[in-house]
Amino acid sequence: MRTIYLTAALTILFCGCTNLEEDVYDQVLETSFEATENDLPSVIAPAYTVMRNLYIGWQGNFDLQEESADAIVTPERPNGWYDAGTYQRMHWHEWPSNQWQPQNLWNNCFAGINNVNRIISQIEAGTIPVTSGKENVIAELKAVRAFYYSVLVDTHGNVPIVSDFNNAELPMQSTRQQVYDFVEKELLDNMELLSTEVSKATYGRLNKWTAKAVLARHYLNAQVYTGTPQWDKCIAACDDIIGSNKYILEANYKTSFLTNNENSKEIIFAVPYDEVFATQNSIHRKTLATAHINVLNLAAPMWGGNCAVPQFINTYDPDDTRLKDTWIMGPQYSVTTGALILTYTKNVPSIEETGFFDGYRIGKYEIKPGASGGLSNDYPIFRYADVLMMKAECLLRKGLANDAALLVTEVRQRAFATTNAAKATVTGAQLQQGSIYEYGYWQPNGTVADPEGGADIQYGRFFDELGWEFAAEGHRRMDMIRFGVFSRKTWFNHRPKNDGKTRSLFPIPQEELDKNPNLDQNGDYK
Amino acid sequence: MIRFIRQTGILCLLMISTCLYGAAPAITVSGTVTDKVSGDPLPGVSVRVKDTQTGAVTDAKGHFRLDVPGSASVLVISFTGYATQEITVGNRSSLLITLETSSSSLDEVVVIGYGKQRKGDVTSAVASVKRDDFVKGYARDAGQLIQGKVAGLAVVTSSGDPNATTQISLRGNSTLMSTTEPLVLIDGIPGALNTVPPEDIESVDVLKDGSAAAIYGTRGTNGVVLITTRKKSARPATINYDGYVSVQTIARKMEFLDAEDYRRLIREGFFVPTADEKYDYGTSTDWLKEITHTPVSHTHNLSLQGGNGQTNYVATINYRQWEGLFKRSKNEQLTGRADINHSMLDGKLKMNLNVIARNRVYFSAPNYAYIYRQAIIRNPTDSVYDYAGKWKEDPNGYFYDNPVRPIYEVDGESRVSETRYNGNVVFTPVRDLNIKLLLSSVKSSSVTGYFETFDHKASETSRRKGYASRGTSIVRDNMMELTGDYSRSVQRHKFTVLGGYSYQDVTFEGFSMYNSDFPTELYTYNRLQSGDQLRLQTQGEVGSGMSSYKNNHKLAGFFGRLNYAWDDRYLLMLSVRHEGSSKFGRNYKWGTFPAISAGWRISKESFLAGSGFVNDMKLRAGFGVTGTVPTDPYLSLISLNYDGASRFLYNGTWVQPLVPVRNPNPDLRWEKKEEYNAGLDFALWKSRINGSIDLYQRDTRDMLYNFPVPVPPNLFGSTIANAGRMRNRGVEVLLNYDIIRTKDFGLTSNITWSYNKNTLLSISNDLYKTTNDFFFAGHTGEPIQLTTHRVQVGQPIGDFYGYKSIDIDENGKWIIEGEDGKPKPIGEAQPNDRKVLGNGIPKHTAGWNLAFRYKRLDLSVNMRGQFDYQILNFQRLYYENPTIKQYNMLKTAFHNVYGKRQLDNPLAYVSYYIEDGDHWKVDNVTLGYNLDLGAASYLKQARVYASALNLLVITGYKGIDPEVNRLGLDPGNDSRDKYPTTRTFTLGINFTF
Repeated sequence: MRTIYLTAALTILFCGCTNLEEDVYDQVLETSFEATENDLPSVIAPAYTVMRNLYIGWQGNFDLQEESADAIVTPERPNGWYDAGTYQRMHWHEWPSNQWQPQNLWNNCFAGINNVNRIISQIEAGTIPVTSGKENVIAELKAVRAFYYSVLVDTHGNVPIVSDFNNAELPMQSTRQQVYDFVEKELLDNMELLSTEVSKATYGRLNKWTAKAVLARHYLNAQVYTGTPQWDKCIAACDDIIGSNKYILEANYKTSFLTNNENSKEIIFAVPYDEVFATQNSIHRKTLATAHINVLNLAAPMWGGNCAVPQFINTYDPDDTRLKDTWIMGPQYSVTTGALILTYTKNVPSIEETGFFDGYRIGKYEIKPGASGGLSNDYPIFRYADVLMMKAECLLRKGLANDAALLVTEVRQRAFATTNAAKATVTGAQLQQGSIYEYGYWQPNGTVADPEGGADIQYGRFFDELGWEFAAEGHRRMDMIRFGVFSRKTWFNHRPKNDGKTRSLFPIPQEELDKNPNLDQNGDYK
Repeated sequence: MIRFIRQTGILCLLMISTCLYGAAPAITVSGTVTDKVSGDPLPGVSVRVKDTQTGAVTDAKGHFRLDVPGSASVLVISFTGYATQEITVGNRSSLLITLETSSSSLDEVVVIGYGKQRKGDVTSAVASVKRDDFVKGYARDAGQLIQGKVAGLAVVTSSGDPNATTQISLRGNSTLMSTTEPLVLIDGIPGALNTVPPEDIESVDVLKDGSAAAIYGTRGTNGVVLITTRKKSARPATINYDGYVSVQTIARKMEFLDAEDYRRLIREGFFVPTADEKYDYGTSTDWLKEITHTPVSHTHNLSLQGGNGQTNYVATINYRQWEGLFKRSKNEQLTGRADINHSMLDGKLKMNLNVIARNRVYFSAPNYAYIYRQAIIRNPTDSVYDYAGKWKEDPNGYFYDNPVRPIYEVDGESRVSETRYNGNVVFTPVRDLNIKLLLSSVKSSSVTGYFETFDHKASETSRRKGYASRGTSIVRDNMMELTGDYSRSVQRHKFTVLGGYSYQDVTFEGFSMYNSDFPTELYTYNRLQSGDQLRLQTQGEVGSGMSSYKNNHKLAGFFGRLNYAWDDRYLLMLSVRHEGSSKFGRNYKWGTFPAISAGWRISKESFLAGSGFVNDMKLRAGFGVTGTVPTDPYLSLISLNYDGASRFLYNGTWVQPLVPVRNPNPDLRWEKKEEYNAGLDFALWKSRINGSIDLYQRDTRDMLYNFPVPVPPNLFGSTIANAGRMRNRGVEVLLNYDIIRTKDFGLTSNITWSYNKNTLLSISNDLYKTTNDFFFAGHTGEPIQLTTHRVQVGQPIGDFYGYKSIDIDENGKWIIEGEDGKPKPIGEAQPNDRKVLGNGIPKHTAGWNLAFRYKRLDLSVNMRGQFDYQILNFQRLYYENPTIKQYNMLKTAFHNVYGKRQLDNPLAYVSYYIEDGDHWKVDNVTLGYNLDLGAASYLKQARVYASALNLLVITGYKGIDPEVNRLGLDPGNDSRDKYPTTRTFTLGINFTF
């Protein structure tokens, strides 16, 4: 009898106390999360939020496009900025396969793509109930995915195309042509399901006009990406946007870069940032000298790194108000006391040795007095001016220089409105001239050694126009490649390699090559 | 559930007890057992009739009474710490028995998992350090007590921070991801090295190999340290006081330029003053002196013990007030412990109640590592204050702050309290059958407050009036264990069986909050609601915020062990633990951890028995499997979190994205370690020489690591998975030698030596195949921004990997050795020019302790060393470079590199900064004197001592201290923020009343 009790007791004891279920308190388990339609914004959010790190996050796409180009440089300063030579390698085009900037971009784009795939699979499986407009949500997500691929086709080219979240196989590499085709097809296939609305509801989202703008930029660079130009397709996409009458050229150039630039009617697509809710816009911290906090009573330390390449500054017409609207120059006075705090000088002696205040700073994005670590300015990816200039470039390249000049003049007008309105007008003939950029090797004393000039650059003047309008908007590398400048010219402390490698694609990150044997390194880095 | 366990547990106990009962008598003997030296009666001594289960235990006066079968009966008298005696009863009815403390180390009792064993019966690698052998003087925690005393156990004392604990690791790194610290049990309950004050510890036992540790299953991979607190000893009621006071001085520091050097270098044209940088600010400041002081610390320990055979107690109160090297740093701790034992029903039921309460207060405020860095890099011609008496700062400073300011412009306090209740009931229904129920509840909580004044640098740069935070955390750890053991001797067969069940439930929770912009400094951190930022929110998350967390994990295990001995000659141990952890994937929660070990006491064989030279010799061999649990729970689950900090603008509203937390791995399972161990224990020449030698091989398989996985298809670039195998092989030697053993004069030597070789066998990943068999670890930090180590298959953990500098060119730039072995300018270096530059894990670790006694005077010297390893000297890497003129630099920055010229290269991670770390430390020298008290004194014992810690280091290493971090994947990185090491002088007394 006792034995029976004993056995019973032991059985209860041992069975009852082998419970190893996990009690979860501060995470949401996928298995216990029952989504409703109200959760949709939170669910689709990760498809977009990655873009903030992708663009002006630390060493994001902004740096990738600008540090490798001829308008912005991050020189070594008394307070650092050598960082194992990373900025110098960007400037010298000596990035190895483990360079962070291109690796960050890869990781961010694929984080966005994976998020899209995951969300689509959840919606299709019904774990996230979407009763009305399901096709529209999925179409928008696919357009977002195409957007990420449109960035990758520009930077890394030969990347894997993944579109099924449930496929855990190691993805195969696609060619740049295949990625190009995928982006075009996905955008076209989903275009008609996208919202045509331009409102608060579509701000920062992929609506039809944004998709057209992505497509336009894609076609504009088609010759670089695939070898086949698509000027007419680009013009058609631009015309659709222009014809929608949803956007205007703002009378004031600054409107699109203010703290509250979400009110700009010129912005087609921007990545929204906020000083409280989305604090990754630290463009001011990277550029302003540490002492600048006393100019604007800033509430966070400034890092004082990047600045304008003086040769680029020299290209501006003094009457072009975009110069002062883009760069912080000369003496800086305290906004409260009026006292002189510091003076930024134009010259930057060398990428290897520079003073605290050498070089003009990026002032395009309004820096609110008292701002802390993150600015609320949204980062414009497509402005209406962009659409006009894309169309103008295609017209110019198709031989319709005078038609192009009309559009360029339209964009230039506000830049000269308060100084010398007549200067706004450009002619077709002017646009076909070379660039006035004084290419050559910059000396510490501010002179140019081995001058090359820019006269030999076809449509160089148009290329200069792009520079003035879109300086510090992360366009420059793309434009330099399209105008054949990127691997051919000398600027600041950069000399062309002349080794048959254009480096117009970045290397596939070494880390990913190591993890996925299906990937092959891009040709210039083998 | 715990209550249910308790009830059923007790029910089981009662039922088992009623099943069994004892035997019948013939004649009666009684007697008294006393200590041979002191003559004190010994209570609790086991008196048993040989080869039977009949026996008794002595009472408080050392008396016992026992019925024996007849006059030929042999009594076996045994007691912990004393040599066992056998006495034939004969015709005596009253016996006077004196016990002698055991002279042979093999008679010592060692603590093994869930029990004790005579050292002679132990079949695995177990090291035991008793109170008498502890390192004397200033001891931070239990780790320092046994530093250099256990072969294979590396104990590294970290910085001069009074809050730091020692870092311990056993037999090298056998895991990549989890902690490499051994499981620490305080009287059987999980704890930490600093849970009980060192003064209150009786012994520290270390289960080194897998066959010993397997009984602890998943927690045993890194070995087990069993700390036994002081128990009621044989003597009558005593009061014991230990106290010491110590001071610390800087023993070694890096030599930076001083103000005179700066002025000379300006004259010599090295520093060229400009408008931005004057270099000479007209004063002379020793910044290190400005932030440090001479710390004085004192410790007091009072313990009380008394009682009788039925009920006895030990109560201890321990107070320590320790100052750190940096100004305002301190650590004040009060620990109380009460241990009550009660025996009833003729010793059939024994109860123990133990309470430990620990309260610690420390100045939590500034980040001393950052302050120290600022002090060493600051211009020595600059001053603490400006002409107006305000803190002097540099407007262009970039991570360049006045180091004195953050020490005084903050207020902060952390209070940590830990309460440990544990109790056990041992029911002995029949002789040698013990059923034990152990329950423990440990609660540890902390409350922290921190405040930055209006004049703090951060208040200035963030344009706010002050900043304050508060935080609290609680850990609750409940455990229940039910064990039963039964021992029996039948003729020459002796066996002990043990069975048990264990359940542990641990919950972590806490919250914190912070706010800024206060109307007054007077509230400090005590009225957070008065800060404006909570309402204004103009600074977002920087200005105010809050957070909270809670998580839980559980561990359940069943275990059993059989010990068998035949004629004390052939020994066998079998054990198994079946254990489950909630942290693993659904299908992999449970694992089984078996062990087997055997021993052969050669000295009991006829060919050695009676040998005058070999007193004891035992050969043993074992195999055991242990596991490792990852530190974090929930890793196998698919979890999502709302991200409030990086939101999505949805129709004009910032909504929180719901984002995945990690790549889930539902197949997450145990990391298992299989260990083979063979050893020899010996005692020679009247036991004057004794020791042991152990050889081991430990293979870790299904190794847990945050493995890199490709993106796409994964969401994140790494997944915690079971992949990889690693091997450690080594030798450990312990040798004790009683060189001189006379009445007035004694000299003993204790040597430990260990060698370990680590090899990573594979990192093949069952998720994906990697194309490379390596990955990188460790980081130089800003601004060099490179990885320091490479972890590669076929190589040991800890390989430094970077450019091998071999020369310097005429411009002062590094020349490195290229991939092809040819010299190459560093400007042309490519990633594949990198090479293995050394290894950060010492291959040899040795300790040598000498104890010398002359009459009442004693002197002990503890020395230890580590050999055959390299250190990356971060201080030289960052501060021995004359091109970085904006910060202070080492005087050696002006020395010629490779005997050629000064360096003129930006900061670079090259092999020039990797140095051999071989060293020999004379760590502790203690001189003590036992006062002559005379027979009549109420004082039973009195001792005074003086000791010096970290007295001398013999090394070629140029850094501060060659004893650097050896854990993790980046061992050997000697941080540039490493504090100067200190030398500690202690004066102490010990009285027993």
